Amino acid sequence: MTNIILGIAIATASLTACNSHNATDTKQTEIKNDSPATNTVQKSPDTTIIPATVAFPVNEIIADYLQLKNALTKDNGKDAAKAGNAIIATLATVDMKSLPAEQMKSYMDIADDLKEHAEHIGANGDKIEHQREHFVMLSKDITDLIKAFGNGGQTLYKDFCPMANNGKGAIWISELKEIKNPYYGKSMSTCGSVKETLK
Amino acid sequence: MKLFKKIILILVIVFVAIQFVRPARNKSGQVLPTDFTKVYTVPNNVQSILQNACYDCHTNNTNYPWYSNVQPIAWMLARHIKNGKDKINFSEFGSNSTRKQISKLKEIANQIKDDEMPLFSYKMMHSKANLSKEEKNLIMDWMNKTADSLSANN
Repeated sequence: MTNIILGIAIATASLTACNSHNATDTKQTEIKNDSPATNTVQKSPDTTIIPATVAFPVNEIIADYLQLKNALTKDNGKDAAKAGNAIIATLATVDMKSLPAEQMKSYMDIADDLKEHAEHIGANGDKIEHQREHFVMLSKDITDLIKAFGNGGQTLYKDFCPMANNGKGAIWISELKEIKNPYYGKSMSTCGSVKETLK
Repeated sequence: MKLFKKIILILVIVFVAIQFVRPARNKSGQVLPTDFTKVYTVPNNVQSILQNACYDCHTNNTNYPWYSNVQPIAWMLARHIKNGKDKINFSEFGSNSTRKQISKLKEIANQIKDDEMPLFSYKMMHSKANLSKEEKNLIMDWMNKTADSLSANN
């Protein structure tokens, strides 16, 4: 009998303890987030090994983006989330200090926004419509990133779907000349047209 | 019966004890130059919807209800407010880059459209946060319009 009482007392006590513990925990992560320099996210081993003096990984960012885009064309929210998280991991490898001042400025502006959209996409594997909302804005960021850092040597296409984004239209970047719509997936795969070739 | 009484007694003691663990209040009282209303010209009807439905968790000033003095409710509210402000803080909206402001304005419209915000638990306790179709449209239109005009200028 006393055991039960004791059990309840301990349970409630530990609950309260957990709560105050959580509060300090979140504070710590906050501090961590504030200093991206200490962020050392490792890429999966299948990607190429990054040398000590990294060039700007525009190729990797584009590759992660294209993976995200392709997952959305297949209506696969889970894979889209993985690709979203891959973007965050790749951004974490960027050594901003190695960039010339002008590029650093545009990178910081773009990456700040890009990361947030990638986080939303990464965290919402079960809400593909929400992922697509963020993909509208993320695609704009990627386009600007390509403008500032080049296309990494591969021919890319800027496609446009007039129906997406609540009928306001939205763009995406593709490695294929053929249209495969990431905003509607299989239900309207061929909706859209190539607007620009990024060579 | 004796056991039952003991359990109740313990629960009462625990309940009283946790009342002393009070989270800090989200009340700054000052209006920063980066405040949403300083950065944009917000029409009164839009502003009053934001005030009623969003500002309690998305600004530096929460209008606390009476039950926020009771634990563990206050702990829950503090967590909601922290998470809310991490995502968007109208009191410091202008500290975001233009690019990010555009994203956030669109995200507000999307969250309203998808009925993700305001949270169900908030709407249960705040009837004014239960937005009508007209109110939702007003907010969405204004947010999208403002985002578009910012994009056009950049």
